[in-house]
Amino acid sequence: MLKNYLNIAFRNLWKNKGFSFINISGLAIGMASAILILLWIQNEASFDQFHQKKDRLYMAYNREVFDGKLQCWANTPFPLGPALLREYPEIQATSRLQYNNFLVTVGDKHLKAQGCFVDTPFLSMFTFPLVKGNKTIALNDMHSIVITQQLAKKLFGDDEAMNKVLRVDSNENFTVTGVLKDLPNNTQFNFEYLLPMKYADKLGWSDNEWDNNSPSTLVELKPNTTEAAVDDKIKNITKRHLKGSEQVEVFLHPVTKWRLYSKFENGKIVGGRIDVVRLFGIIAAFILLIACINFMNLSTARSEKRAKEVGIRKVVGAQRQYLIGQFLGESILLAAISGVVALIIVQLSLSGFNQLTSKQLAIEYGNIYFWLSAIAFVLFTGVLAGSYPAFYLSSFQPVRVLKGTFKKINALVTPRKILVVLQFTFAIILIICTVIVEQQIKYAQERDNGYSKNNLIYHLLTGDLDKNYNLVKNELLSSGVATSVTKTSAPITQGWSDSWGFEWQGKDPNSKTDFDRFCADENFAKTAGVKIARGRDIDLKDYPTDSTAIVLNETAVKAMGFKEPIGQIIKDDGVTWHVVGVIKDFIIRSPYEPMRPMVIEGSKGFFNAMHIRLNSANTTEKNLAAVEKIFKKYNPQYPFEYHFVDDEYAKKFSDEKRTGTLAALFSFLTICISCLGLFGLATYMAENRVKEIGVRKVLGASVTNITTLLSKDFIGLVIISIAFASPFAWWFMNKWLQGYDYRVTISWWVFIGAGLLAIAIALITVSYQSIKAALTNPVKNLRTE
Amino acid sequence: MAANMIKITDMEKIYRTEEVETVALNKLNIEVKNGEFVAVMGPSGCGKSTLLNILGLLDDPDNGSFVFNDIEVAHFNERRRADLRKHNIGFVFQSFNLIDELTVFENVELPLIYTGIKGPERKKRVEAVLDKVQIMHRRNHYPQQLSGGQQQRVAVARAVVNNPKLILADEPTGNLDSSNGNDVMQLLTELNEQGTTIVMVTHSEHDARYSHRIIRMLDGQTVTENILI
Ligand SMILES: Nc1ncnc2c1ncn2[C@@H]1O[C@H](COP(=O)(O)OP(=O)(O)O)[C@@H](O)[C@H]1O
Ligand SMILES: [Mg+2]
Repeated sequence: MLKNYLNIAFRNLWKNKGFSFINISGLAIGMASAILILLWIQNEASFDQFHQKKDRLYMAYNREVFDGKLQCWANTPFPLGPALLREYPEIQATSRLQYNNFLVTVGDKHLKAQGCFVDTPFLSMFTFPLVKGNKTIALNDMHSIVITQQLAKKLFGDDEAMNKVLRVDSNENFTVTGVLKDLPNNTQFNFEYLLPMKYADKLGWSDNEWDNNSPSTLVELKPNTTEAAVDDKIKNITKRHLKGSEQVEVFLHPVTKWRLYSKFENGKIVGGRIDVVRLFGIIAAFILLIACINFMNLSTARSEKRAKEVGIRKVVGAQRQYLIGQFLGESILLAAISGVVALIIVQLSLSGFNQLTSKQLAIEYGNIYFWLSAIAFVLFTGVLAGSYPAFYLSSFQPVRVLKGTFKKINALVTPRKILVVLQFTFAIILIICTVIVEQQIKYAQERDNGYSKNNLIYHLLTGDLDKNYNLVKNELLSSGVATSVTKTSAPITQGWSDSWGFEWQGKDPNSKTDFDRFCADENFAKTAGVKIARGRDIDLKDYPTDSTAIVLNETAVKAMGFKEPIGQIIKDDGVTWHVVGVIKDFIIRSPYEPMRPMVIEGSKGFFNAMHIRLNSANTTEKNLAAVEKIFKKYNPQYPFEYHFVDDEYAKKFSDEKRTGTLAALFSFLTICISCLGLFGLATYMAENRVKEIGVRKVLGASVTNITTLLSKDFIGLVIISIAFASPFAWWFMNKWLQGYDYRVTISWWVFIGAGLLAIAIALITVSYQSIKAALTNPVKNLRTE
Repeated sequence: MAANMIKITDMEKIYRTEEVETVALNKLNIEVKNGEFVAVMGPSGCGKSTLLNILGLLDDPDNGSFVFNDIEVAHFNERRRADLRKHNIGFVFQSFNLIDELTVFENVELPLIYTGIKGPERKKRVEAVLDKVQIMHRRNHYPQQLSGGQQQRVAVARAVVNNPKLILADEPTGNLDSSNGNDVMQLLTELNEQGTTIVMVTHSEHDARYSHRIIRMLDGQTVTENILI
């Protein structure tokens, strides 16, 4: 029986090569897309699920009301971790975690690496196994360091790294007390080395203040405790230690939710990355469905050819379930072939997809679960694609079919119409989304950022640069490489500091407006090309008291309510600043946000970066070479790691660009698959109507008449699809755009344009068959009956 | 075993389309004995095929009774009809109705597959029956590669491979020249001599003479019955 099924299935595939090709390629593209997306989803869902104690691991979060809204964030005070452990018996262990970015030196090998300070229990809490060393004591000593295998390889090559000495940040010697297995690609943690928190204490990075939120606090609960119970107890810990001066509350956020559920609104989890995962899941399902629809449509369109077979089989004794089995067998066979092709497509496109999504996804061919899921996937697809045709075809009555009273399906019948509309609706939605995403990116890119990005570079104050800053600056200026140099607290493209603690005259005591805090020693407006609205730039040469000068942006002036800002006094962290100027707003964080109030503190502030306005009279290569020479001279230990501000600024759009590229990719695939199906349908329709076409031509119809006649039905369906797709796409894009304060308005022509595009694509697809049919000699067609 | 294989009483079949109602069978009464060879004749549209389809359990009547081997089958559901059909009834059509995608051998094998006969046994029986219809040498050919007469012989082979008690033939020689037609009639006669009951619709008086009895129909009713032997 099975052999007979397979036999006829193969022969049917072979006999109808065109049909099989369309079906297999459509299904393979659909399956390949779905597999890629499923791999991505699987990776996302597996983030930090590998920790053995995952059900007991948490991160402490703060929540407090600002501007009437309950905000949640993960930076916590340094004393929180130790206090939690001390005060609550339910808590097994805690570790603080503070990221750093030190230069690691072995001999004359210098490497900038990403790492963090953690407390000793970290390695026992989280499942980051050591291949060398003892996890319980590895970070006990202040001068111990744990490095990943990868970093070990970079630093020591094939030599044993354990117990070797290396220098961190060119200051002190550290002994390697552990070698970590490299982090898997599905963890939120990102480090190549771990240093003991004790060393951060020594460096003065940490403090004992309950109102300075900096590190993350990781918490392991004892078994048999619940998150809710502990949440309830620890809620007031910070308030208690601050004696009520802040209304901040502490709660726990489980490790299993960090990746996908970390978006809080008014203190409640409202989603996060899971939204994207769901969206991708829906897209995968739809692309697969659309590929299956091709199969359903083409199979039922061919039903006339199979009707006789069904009739005969029934007459000789086949029961309906046998026939259903036979047709499902055929679709599963087809799905299996498509699955193999899909796997090849996936293998070929995986690296590109990885690049697009910044992942390292791979198919684990050695994994039995992969093959089981692959088989399940093929069966699922085969059944999904085959069920409707199977039930439809097996329902034919032998009497009707064999007597020839079986109705010829001339036009498109209703279920098939619905399926085509579904395909095109989805395709058009994707086209519209692609266009709107691109528009939004362009809109934000064209937004005035408020400074001049070109010919501006920044460099972090690594190593001796801080100490030698004035020498470096003077040499840059005197050699004519730079026209202006300014030391700042952070790169101009990144907001590193903010505060609601500023004091000024007339401040509403209840105000909790958050200001961006930026520092610039002098001439910031000149270096960055920011426009001065009132007053002047900070200028240490001509105004000796400018070390405590402060500059506001226009939004800050409004937020502070100053009528005459110049000369106002602002207090921050014990320093009294005086306002010397007001600058026009510029974008420091997201180009999609409204401008935020910002204060720029003078040289008494803190500094981490320098910005250099290159002399545009020289070529960039020449400038860079000259800058490098000066940096090497004053900071010989550290690499020259400059950043062009325009490149950095462009990175602000990378997420959206990725969204745009993915949307475009998915629309392209959907259109491809849908058109394959449409082409197949048009082929069968033209075949079924040969006689009608012949008669019409004999009666005088022109080629145009016939082509129009045959294409008309399809175009009607596409127009219906546009009507369905537009409101969906509008609703969806409107929702997406709500996430951006600075956003385009959706214009009607996008819908018209997408519709016209879809019609054009459908027309091109269908017209080949229509014209071919219209051009055939009618005599030939009429003879065939 | 009952003397009557088929007993049809007051059978009605009415085709309703949106515009017209066609009475295809009008209170028809027919009996067919075990081992009989009956020919049904009558002008086109008088209901012959309708009758044969109902006899073959491919279609159900609107009214009346159909007793097959002492069992009332008029209101069997599709599953039971299919079951009864595959064990008891073989069909031969005017237009052969072979499956184009299957070889001669596979076409004939089909009914055995559906009755669940094992592979080696199937092979034996298919080969035996192909021998009988003298088409063994073409067993691996596809239907399109055969002449009309050969195709109909294959169709007859397929109808009898399951050893049915009843063979229903709807104008089996209608598409054949007289020489090929005679071959097929010869075959049916042999089968009948071996005990198979046959009901055959035909337009040809010549073919009808192979039978024992001719039922003449008009407008869904029998008009006369000629007993030939
Ligand atoms: N499926 C059907 N729908 C409507 N009318 C039908 C159908 N099948 C047969 N008829 C009508 O029933 C009558 C008997 O048909 P049929 O049994 O095929 O006649 P015969 O085989 O004797 O030529 C005819 O008038 C025919 O038009
Ligand atoms: Mg007839």
